[in-house]
Amino acid sequence: MKRRDFFKKLGTVVAISAVAPMMSFGADEKKAKGPNELSYEKALEAITNGKGAKPSAKVHLKVPEIAENGAVVPVSVEVDSPMTEQDYVKTIHIFATKNNNSRCLAVHFTPANGKAMLATRVKLGSTQDIAAIVEMSDGTFLSASQSVKVTIGGCG
Amino acid sequence: MEISRRDFMHIAAIFGLGAATSGMASPKTIEQISLKDIYDFKAMGNFTLLHMCDIHAHIKPLYWREPSTLISAPNLVGTPGFLCGEAFAKHYGLEPSSLDAYFDTYIDFDILAKKFGKMGGVAHIKTYLDHVRKERGKENVLFLDSGDTWQGTGVALKTQGEAIVKAQNYLGVDVMVGHWEFTYGKERVKELIEMLKAKFISQNVIGDDSFADDYEELIFEPYTIEERGGAKIGIIGQSFPFTSTANPKEFTEGWSFGLRLDTLQEYVNELKKEHKVDCVVVLSHDGFSVDQEVARQVHGIDFILSGHTHDPSPKPIVIDGTVIVIAGSHGKFIGRLDINAKGGKVLGYEYKLVPIASNMIPADPEGVKLVEELYTPFAKEFNEVLGKTKNTLYKRDTFFSTFDQLINDAIMDEMKCDISFTPGYRWGTTVLAGEDILMDNVYEMCGITYPNVYTFELKGGKIATLLEDIADNVFNANPLYQQGGDMSRLGGVTYSISVANKAGTRISKLMIGGKPIDLEKTYIVSSWGGNLQNAGENLQKEKIRAVYDITRDYIKRQKVVNVSNKGNVTLVDYDCGCPTKGSRGC
Repeated sequence: MKRRDFFKKLGTVVAISAVAPMMSFGADEKKAKGPNELSYEKALEAITNGKGAKPSAKVHLKVPEIAENGAVVPVSVEVDSPMTEQDYVKTIHIFATKNNNSRCLAVHFTPANGKAMLATRVKLGSTQDIAAIVEMSDGTFLSASQSVKVTIGGCG
Repeated sequence: MEISRRDFMHIAAIFGLGAATSGMASPKTIEQISLKDIYDFKAMGNFTLLHMCDIHAHIKPLYWREPSTLISAPNLVGTPGFLCGEAFAKHYGLEPSSLDAYFDTYIDFDILAKKFGKMGGVAHIKTYLDHVRKERGKENVLFLDSGDTWQGTGVALKTQGEAIVKAQNYLGVDVMVGHWEFTYGKERVKELIEMLKAKFISQNVIGDDSFADDYEELIFEPYTIEERGGAKIGIIGQSFPFTSTANPKEFTEGWSFGLRLDTLQEYVNELKKEHKVDCVVVLSHDGFSVDQEVARQVHGIDFILSGHTHDPSPKPIVIDGTVIVIAGSHGKFIGRLDINAKGGKVLGYEYKLVPIASNMIPADPEGVKLVEELYTPFAKEFNEVLGKTKNTLYKRDTFFSTFDQLINDAIMDEMKCDISFTPGYRWGTTVLAGEDILMDNVYEMCGITYPNVYTFELKGGKIATLLEDIADNVFNANPLYQQGGDMSRLGGVTYSISVANKAGTRISKLMIGGKPIDLEKTYIVSSWGGNLQNAGENLQKEKIRAVYDITRDYIKRQKVVNVSNKGNVTLVDYDCGCPTKGSRGC
């Protein structure tokens, strides 16, 4: 699917970009941590009730290898799912695993969405993995992650 | 031994025939090699692709020494894209002191330079192109340019790329992509494309300004379909994916780059299924190692004509059925690829990397005239002799090269800084030991559209982090996370590096001004050609000056420059600059 088609379709699914403000702080890792600090490990444990998430090829996470601008890194996720009452994606969580507050957003779906996909932009404080944690209707958790390099660049 | 061109052509006439008929496999000396050997090619198939990449605006012949250090992560060292010197000669079976050894490696460069002379130049390139066009029939030949063409010399800078577009039109370039082209800025790029007779294509440049009409739209045509020799050839453009991090963002504000392999796959499928092309070509500026990864991830590409990393690759490499070629840099080579493709299939191919030896391939008079016309307005400034060099000045190598050191010396002398940063891009020039340094040479090294040297303050801790960050751009084990340049060159600093270590832990024994770095101390840093000043504080605005002016004045003050090739970096995990595959040594 072409990117622009994707955005057209997005209108009919969930308007994510508009409702997902940058929740991550993206602050320098060494600075004092803020009140909303939450590590990826702790957040993952809380969300999955300690069960953890299983890496799955059904979760298609798209992020750039090298961020053009660490302040607005495009992220999109699509999950293969029939989206029926019996089998659907309940929630997609996006994490910036090394930001002080690793939670970027959580988007809830119902079978009426027809398709489990979202696109947004997140702010990254440094080179790190972006992870998508997906809660399925049967209570299992799937995941996908990829490293995004945030660099001052300058090699030419 | 000095041989004039006339002498040479005479010698070639005598020996050339002999060399060809005696079936000599690898010609060794100028007396034995002939134009016929250079032109020699087993023509096949129904059309020919001619390929050039990274000429960096060198429309005149030049000396260009290949690297004597080309280090990467252990999984990559000694593989095509990370081969140099002895390891390169061994891998490709080059004879010592041969024309190929001179063109492809640094070994005995100074001696062989005297023997074989300068390389490239559009007048010589044109003679070769016309030879192939005549042999194959013009209508069966396509000339493709992988970019980094408009930028890299004084004449390019002063005419904002126009001189080079004229040279491309003269050569008859059919299709191109870009990288440093974009450093003239979006508006100028569009103007130059208007002047250019070739098509400028890119599937990976997309509008990302949400208030602009081109938001999420392609900026250029993603591909073109050309017919040659009865075959339909689909050519997809891939400009440099990391333009907005490797070069200042301001030049391409509102455009997003990236590899975009998912759309690349879609275009490959579209060309095959909807347009029923006989052959799919990706004209790329990704870099040689990245394109090997592209071939693994994208299916159905027949040929990738690569660029960016300046590798001369005498043999194509084949990955999952995709044939990848790359044709060196600075106009030293033209790649000739004869292809047999029909019925939606490639049936065979033949490749040769042709050295443009300017003492052997005669100059096309029209090209000589064009170059002279383009240079005349600037002749007085460019031909000024600034001084002499005791040792050969060259650019390249992973950590250090003599011309970069000269630039760092010039900056440190004028700016009185603790540390000087010079970018690790791979284009420039070579000035042989004992020769004059001209202003033209200085522009060949640092003639960029953002030449300002900035002097500012950086904490020791930040410097250490930045160096690790830059090291990871060069040494990441995954080519997709590399930017295809070399390490920034540092003045006033020495360090040791363990390339194979994890990101953030490669550099040790970091010394500034002969003393171990103090992470809490504030240092005065001068830098150009990057974004480093954005990380610093207390920018000294009154000191800002163009790097080519600083370098010119310094050489003039020195009169004779004497830069040794000793280097300031100790390599911990390799014993030499050009290791062979899977080893520490050569």
